[in-house]
Amino acid sequence: MNLTLSEFFAVGAVIFAIFMSGTIQLRTNLLLYAIQTLLVGVVTAAFYLASNESQYLWLALVVILVKAAGISLFLAWVLRRINVFRDGATYLPIPIAMHVCILMLGIAHFLADRLPAPPDQSLHLQAGSAESGIALVLIGTLFMLTRKTAVSQIIGFLTMENGIYLFTLAQAHGMPMAVELGILLDVLVGVMVAGVITFRIQKSFEHIDVTQLRDLRD
Amino acid sequence: MEPIIPLFSIPVALSALAALLLIARARGAKVLGWLVLIGMWINLILAIKLLAPVFTGSVSGYDTNQVLASGFKIDGPAALFILLTSLVSATVLSHARLFFRREREGNEELDDSALTVYYLFSLLFHISMIAVFICDNLGYLWISIEATTLMSAALVYFNRDKHALEAAWKYLIICSVGIAFALFGTVCFYISSKYGAVPGGSLSLSQLAEVAPHLEPTYVRLAFILCFLGYGTKAGLFPLHSWLPDAYSEAPAPASAMIAGALLNCALFAIFRIYQVAYCLDNHAFYQELVLWSGTITVVAASVFLVRQHGIKRLWGYSSIENAGLLLVAIGLNSTPIFLLHAVNHSIAKVALFLLSGDIIQHAGSKELSQIKGIWTSMPVRSTLFAAAAIAVTGAPPFGAFISEWLLLTGCVSQGRWLLAVLLVLAISLAFIMIAFHTGRILGGGAPKEKATEPEHAGFNGIVPGALLIAALALGITTGPLVLGWLQ
Repeated sequence: MNLTLSEFFAVGAVIFAIFMSGTIQLRTNLLLYAIQTLLVGVVTAAFYLASNESQYLWLALVVILVKAAGISLFLAWVLRRINVFRDGATYLPIPIAMHVCILMLGIAHFLADRLPAPPDQSLHLQAGSAESGIALVLIGTLFMLTRKTAVSQIIGFLTMENGIYLFTLAQAHGMPMAVELGILLDVLVGVMVAGVITFRIQKSFEHIDVTQLRDLRD
Repeated sequence: MEPIIPLFSIPVALSALAALLLIARARGAKVLGWLVLIGMWINLILAIKLLAPVFTGSVSGYDTNQVLASGFKIDGPAALFILLTSLVSATVLSHARLFFRREREGNEELDDSALTVYYLFSLLFHISMIAVFICDNLGYLWISIEATTLMSAALVYFNRDKHALEAAWKYLIICSVGIAFALFGTVCFYISSKYGAVPGGSLSLSQLAEVAPHLEPTYVRLAFILCFLGYGTKAGLFPLHSWLPDAYSEAPAPASAMIAGALLNCALFAIFRIYQVAYCLDNHAFYQELVLWSGTITVVAASVFLVRQHGIKRLWGYSSIENAGLLLVAIGLNSTPIFLLHAVNHSIAKVALFLLSGDIIQHAGSKELSQIKGIWTSMPVRSTLFAAAAIAVTGAPPFGAFISEWLLLTGCVSQGRWLLAVLLVLAISLAFIMIAFHTGRILGGGAPKEKATEPEHAGFNGIVPGALLIAALALGITTGPLVLGWLQ
């Protein structure tokens, strides 16, 4: 099986996401998320080399600067301020979580196989792969479901978003630039808002285990 | 004349002013409150004036290919929702001034800057909601809807206590994840159009509807289901509704009124738009069944949840879920007039109800139903209005919601969907009985002895809800004969 360069990076992003679910150290989670996003940015750049359309280069730059660097640094700053560095307990033991993630990669492969072939065949091997995108969405969802702290929830959401981005790049060669930038802006503001709420949760409850927020019920 | 920029001018100017006040740490929330009040009513009049040509039929709608980038469009339904949202914002922000004046008595924490924050985010929230209705591009639609979540999360967190924190966090996370699925769906719509339907692909809703039979079937199905789930989360679709009662209950009353009266419509409007695309597909029966049954199950579930409720605003939260279900059924029947009519009726009555509930909570000092009893003796004016609003929301005659719910049921029957109609009648009746029961206990019922409730100084507080109720009544009286004439 021949792996193109961009597929290689896309699968790399998934592997780092699997590593990410293998630790409960929040700062390591963040670092691995940053590497994963960096690789997603590299896929975009590789796609620029293949298609030679400058908008992909700009997009790659924005992804790396805003998502890989900016958001990770912001969340690292949040962690330092609230002085929480570990996800106390997860619903799935770590080794099992990693195995389930590998299973997710298999499921993603199965799902991607059932999808119709991408419309534009000429460049699609240069644009990452749909199964990496789906795998990232599944791993992100699993991360959100099994982790307990507010920051892990944010990281899981961001991983999902990376997956959707990669899937779009592989199957549709990205959305129109204005839409991509708008989505990125929403994600950025969303992370800021979630970060501020995380501060407040730590201040009011003296922990950031969001599964313990369950006063409101019928 | 290009209406889009003027539609945003006043709210943008006011929010810039609020932001400046915050940055300069200046006092002046009182002046700001007055400016917002006057500004938002002028904004409403301006919106009516700008959008009148769409209603009179002199233009079929505004396309904006000439001005900004393409991807914006105001047609009939969009124009109606813009007016409705502007009306909700104007009434809520007028009443908010009175609400917070009372709220500030004896509450040191609620200083000028907190109020300025409230006005700032309400205005930004209003802007993002208007943006939802002018989008013809699925991508922009998604961006606007996510923006409404972010802006209103700040409003849900307004009270800054533990419960508000919990509600805001759940709201933000559940809605964002839901919306992430809608993004996936949006991508799938885009991909589905690339298989020869539109060269280069398209996100434009009107274009997708035109070429619907040529869209790639696997991707379209995936796209519709993902978007429906995503935007359904935001609309309170059962079983994805869990954030909704929490958020409605913990936000201050004027914010809940805006979320219930306007935000619900945004999410349903998005579903309405994608359903218009799905309805042009060859196998649209599948999508129709999906929407109709999700709507019906939501109505039934919400009315069952109404039976055991302990919080006054949670009660109205479940009532909103019920109405979201009814609106979904209207969308599923592909009956745009019923959808629009019921959305207007529900919003107007629900805003009045939330504003009055806020006053009642202030008066009783608690939002627990067990603590709010026998208020009729101490605040007769607003209790009467409250009872009328509760009745209006349940869809009892002579208010407008009765007509739209009745049309909905006859619509189900005329399409031969008897099972659906029977389930809806049972659920609506149960909801009516439970709301009447709870409202009766709030109004009558022995007042808790230990609380010396001082008599009401209704002042201006009854004006806004009263006016809204008159509007709801007028809608019922004017649309009623029309419907009767149409039946004969």
